Parts: sequence; C-alpha cells; structure tokens
Amino acid sequence: MTTGFWQQAKAVSGRDLLRERRRGDVLWITIPFGAIALLLVPLAVGTDAALLREIGPGMYWVIVMLFGVLVAVGKASSETLPQQDASLLLGLDPAAGFVGRSGAATLLLLIFEVVVGVVAVGLYDISIIGIPWLIFTLLTAAIGLALLGTLTGSIVNSTSAGTALVPLLVAPLSVPLLLGATQSYEGLRLGHSIVSWILLMVVVVLVVAIIGVLTARPLQET
Amino acid sequence: MTAQTRNRWWPWAAIVLSLATAFTLAMVSPADDVQGNLVRIMYLHVPAAWLAYLAFLVTFVGSVAYLLTRHFRWDRIAAASAEIGVYFTGLAIVLGMIWAKPTWGVWWTWDARLTLTAIMFFVYLGYLALRRTTDDPIARANRAAVLGVVGAIQIPLVHFSVVWWRTLHQPPSIIRPDGPAIQDSMMLVALIVGVLAFTVVYVSLMVKRIELIHLEDQRDAVERTADQPVAGEAVTAPDLGGPS
Amino acid sequence: MTSVHFRTVTETPLVELSGVGVRIGSTQILRDVDLQITAGEVVGLFGANGAGKTTMLRLIATLIRPAQGQGTVLGADLSSAERYDVRRRIGMIGHVPGLYPELTLGENLRYSARVAGVPTERAGEALGAVGLAGAADRRAGASSHGMQRRTEFARELMIDRSLLLLDEPHSALDRDAVDLVEGLIERKAAEGGAVVVVSHDRDRINAIAHRSVELAGGTLT
Repeated sequence: MTTGFWQQAKAVSGRDLLRERRRGDVLWITIPFGAIALLLVPLAVGTDAALLREIGPGMYWVIVMLFGVLVAVGKASSETLPQQDASLLLGLDPAAGFVGRSGAATLLLLIFEVVVGVVAVGLYDISIIGIPWLIFTLLTAAIGLALLGTLTGSIVNSTSAGTALVPLLVAPLSVPLLLGATQSYEGLRLGHSIVSWILLMVVVVLVVAIIGVLTARPLQET
Repeated sequence: MTAQTRNRWWPWAAIVLSLATAFTLAMVSPADDVQGNLVRIMYLHVPAAWLAYLAFLVTFVGSVAYLLTRHFRWDRIAAASAEIGVYFTGLAIVLGMIWAKPTWGVWWTWDARLTLTAIMFFVYLGYLALRRTTDDPIARANRAAVLGVVGAIQIPLVHFSVVWWRTLHQPPSIIRPDGPAIQDSMMLVALIVGVLAFTVVYVSLMVKRIELIHLEDQRDAVERTADQPVAGEAVTAPDLGGPS
Repeated sequence: MTSVHFRTVTETPLVELSGVGVRIGSTQILRDVDLQITAGEVVGLFGANGAGKTTMLRLIATLIRPAQGQGTVLGADLSSAERYDVRRRIGMIGHVPGLYPELTLGENLRYSARVAGVPTERAGEALGAVGLAGAADRRAGASSHGMQRRTEFARELMIDRSLLLLDEPHSALDRDAVDLVEGLIERKAAEGGAVVVVSHDRDRINAIAHRSVELAGGTLT
C-alpha cells in the first residue's frame, strides 16, 4: 500500500512542527535573536525617530531574510542519518519530504515575522498600512524563504560545512523577495501600485517550489 | 608540429594576440570628452562584466545538462566556468569601483548592473564553497547542479527586481556623468575587440581547466580502483600483552 | 551452525550482488562483494569492528549506490531510480535508533504509520505487542536504548516488509525482548521474506540463521 504524496507531506510537516513545539528553538532562540538585532541597529545608527521610521521597514525585512533562514534550516538539517534512513525506508517520497518540511518552515517563519514585526513597529514607530496586502506580502515572503531555506538545506545536507553554508547560499537568492517586500510596503505608503512586486515574489515562490520538487530525488543520492 | 604541441601553444597564442590587439586599440582610441583617459577602464570593465554573465550562463547550461544526462563532462564544464567566472566577476566589480571613485566621488553607486554583478559574485562563491565541502563526486555533481540551476533561474528575477528598484529610486539629480556614450567609432571597435579578446581568454582557460579537472577525476578513479587497503584493515586485534 | 528452525528456503533471489564495491567519500569500504540471498533465508553477517557491516546493510537497504559492480535488491537495480520503488518493502533496524527524541514512542510510530500508509491504529497494537503499551507517551529521548529498540521492532511489526536488516538486534535488549526479536525473524522468514542479521554474538545467530558470511578485507568470505 502506498500513501498519497500530500499525506506524506502532511505527516512530515506535522512531525517537524511537533518537534519544534517541544524544542522551542524558534520561539526561544531565533525570535529573540531577531528582536535584539532590531534593538542593536538604533544603537549604531542613532535614535532619531524620523530616521528610524525611514529605515525601519527595510531593517525589519533584512532581519527576516537573514535570520528567518535559520528557522528553515534549523529543522531541515536537524535529522540524523538513522532518522533519514528510517524515513526513506518508510517509502517517503523525497519531494513530499521537501514540501512537508517547507510547509512547517512557512508556518514557523510566519510566526517569526509577526512577533519580530510587532517589535519593529514598537521600536521604529512603523505605520501599519494596507493590511490585506501586508498579510499577502508576509505570507509570500514566508513561503519563498521557507522554500529557499529547505532547498538549500537539502543541498548542503551531509557536506562538511553543513548548515553554516546555508545563509551564504540563500542571501543573494533572496534579493527578489527582499526587494519585493520592501518595495511593496513603500508602494503602499506612497499609494502606488504594488502588483508587479507581488507578482515577482509569487514567481520566485513558484520557481523555487518547482525546482525543489523536481530535484528532491537527485539531492537524496549519495 | 605534433597535435600535442599545437594543443599546448595555441591557447597562449590566442590569449596574447587578442589581449595585445585589445590593449592597442584601447590605447589608440580617443579619450572621452568628459572623463578623459578614465574611460579606458571601460575597455576592461565591460568585457569582464560580459564574461561574468557568459560564464554564469555556461554554468547553468552545464548544470541542466548534467541533471538530464548524468554525464560528468557537463559537471566539469559547469565547475570550470564557475571558477573562471568568479574571477571575472570580481574583476568587473573592482574595475567598476576604480572607475566610479574619481568619476562620481564614491566607490559604490548602487547602479542596477553593478549591484546585480555583486549579487552574482556571491552566488558563485556559494557554488564554489558547496563544491569544496562535498567529498563524494556524485553528491557534489548533483548538489552543485541543483544550486547552479536555482542560482541561474533566480538571476533574471534578481535582475528585474534590482532594475525596478533603481527605476523607483533614481539618484539625486545633480550633474553627474553617466556611463560614457560611444562617441567615436574607434571606441566602439576597441570595445568590441576587447569583448572578443576576453571571450578568447575565457574559452582558452575553459579548455585548460576542463582538461585539468578531467585529469584530476581520472587520477581519483585510478586511486579508487587501485589496490589500496579498505578502511576495515586499519582495525587490528588489541594487544593487551604485558610482561609475561 | 546448529539446527535450522525455518521452512525450506525457496530459490527466488531477493538480493543479488556481483563484484560490488562501495566508497564513502574517498575511502573504500567494500570491494568485490558477491552475495545472493533468497526468499525465506536468514543470513548472519559477522566481522570485526570497522569491517563495513553497517555499510553492507545500508547498501542492501538501497541507501548507498555501489561505486563498482552491480546489484539488485527486490528486483531493483541499485544504481538506478528503481531503488526508490522498493524501499518501502525493506525494513532496517540500525545500531543507532532512528527515532525522533522530541516525539513520544507512540508519536514516532504514528508518524511511521502515516508515511508508510498503514492505519495509525496499528501503532498502538504494535507497541502493545512489544510490551510498551504503557510507555506510549514517553518521549523517545527520555527512553532507554532498549525501549527505543523495541519501538523500532514495533515499527517493523506494523509494516509489511519483504526484507529485514538488523544491526546488532540483541544489544540493549532484555530476555523478553530477545525472544521478541527472534520471533520476528522467524516470522519474516516464514512469510517468504529474508533477514540479514549483523551481530558479534555468533552462537546466538548461528542458532537461528541458515548460513553466515564473514566480512573481512572489505569483502565476503
């Protein structure tokens, strides 16, 4: 008997979310790390309210991109070899594993974005505008970053550098997401259309998702 | 002249000839009306930037071809192109900065092309770092190929995002020179010859580097099948003997 | 080798390795391995520390590609994508448990059931069969090595496998669990599957295996 692709993906997502709930890495380590980074910036650049309002949204998204990837990669690479072997011998489709891990990472990244976002609003006095579009941006950025992080986590799995290499690989590739997110906010603030930025982010998500699914099996091979 | 001798000298001859031609033309072409002799850096910067993109494209093609065929030849092509490409990308960035400082008063201008080139440089670095940290040749080829595809497909998206971003955020409207307009046909000729010369350099380096990688792979294959001890033979029975 | 407990071995080869070599990175682990295992057979695999026994099991489990030679497991070529299709029919209990320490024993089994496509109710039944019904809510990381082992045996009871690979199955197990292991081996072989058992306990394995092979110098003797 073989299980459906989506059932397997759901099982993997559930597993990762349960593990994270028990470990609390994102809640107790990564989120505070992101928050303190937001705190450090004004100490370095100055506390002028107008300046902070200006740079706040950009700083927030940079921190999401750089630290958020740790959310995705912390899980993706935290399987030992016996755990991976056991999953594979259950008949887990590597592509379903990729989708499942990405799904869990998306949810954790959304939590990261919301909590760190509240801190950013507080510290930098950022206005919250265009809530529906803002939610869509947060969601798309979370999905895109989760996919990028999970894919690169699979790429570096069992190399000697391991997870240390992931931020270097993800950072340049996350530029369209970073610009899409920041320019969307800027556009909302100025009353411009942001459809092209949103579309760009959606395209990034689709491209990485397709590549991740198609290359899941080759990446499993040793 | 044997085929081996021909093979040995022709890349060097091609490189020297083409670079000499490009250098000569760059020096005899006229100075720019606004920037004077500073414009001559362009005859290096533009070809280097062109090569950075070409090398990236070749890495992408090699990566796709490897994933489809699993022939290591394509992995070698992708790897060699990335190694050569990272140097030309770095060169393009440095030359761009050297040109920017006296021209615009700053080392970095956040010009869309320059920013994109810098991002590509880091993608290359990541690709090479991944290859360096993966021991198994099959795993290395698989993973590098996937990263090569992801990186290359993302680059047009990065390009669009950066260009749109710069379009929305034009630099302040002070009088500042743009990239030099090609005012003279000699300048155009010098630029085109420079691009061709660098392409010859790239092809020559690729031929040599692929050959070298192939030899390295063959050496590894010989070592693999050589009569070497297996890992288990390093373990022997413990010797607990003391004075009897 | 003493008495044989199982029914007559049939001739269908489930595992066929011919001149197989395995490298991990730049290190040769196995070389020129020839092995045939037929349905209903129990094979003991012995060898010194570092001889490559675990690598051999992972090779048969299709988790490693051969660097030299040819091999098929359950009809799938070890060098091709066919091997993905047969993994579901191969069970392996390794040296180190493959459970998730943050999850309870029950949760680990239910996860396995969902991925393998078996009803999750079987997880509870399987845990009961291995004597861990009362420990289902204990975290795997807080459970003893022996309990984790039993949980992995529960997983193999839950899922229909044609080939079972066991790496030091008796280690960390008490007497009851040892009987459980040998019962599982007997059952798999009786059902027409095959079992490969790695162990240092030659006497115990020889008592239940049809034959044994020795791994030395990277190859089988």
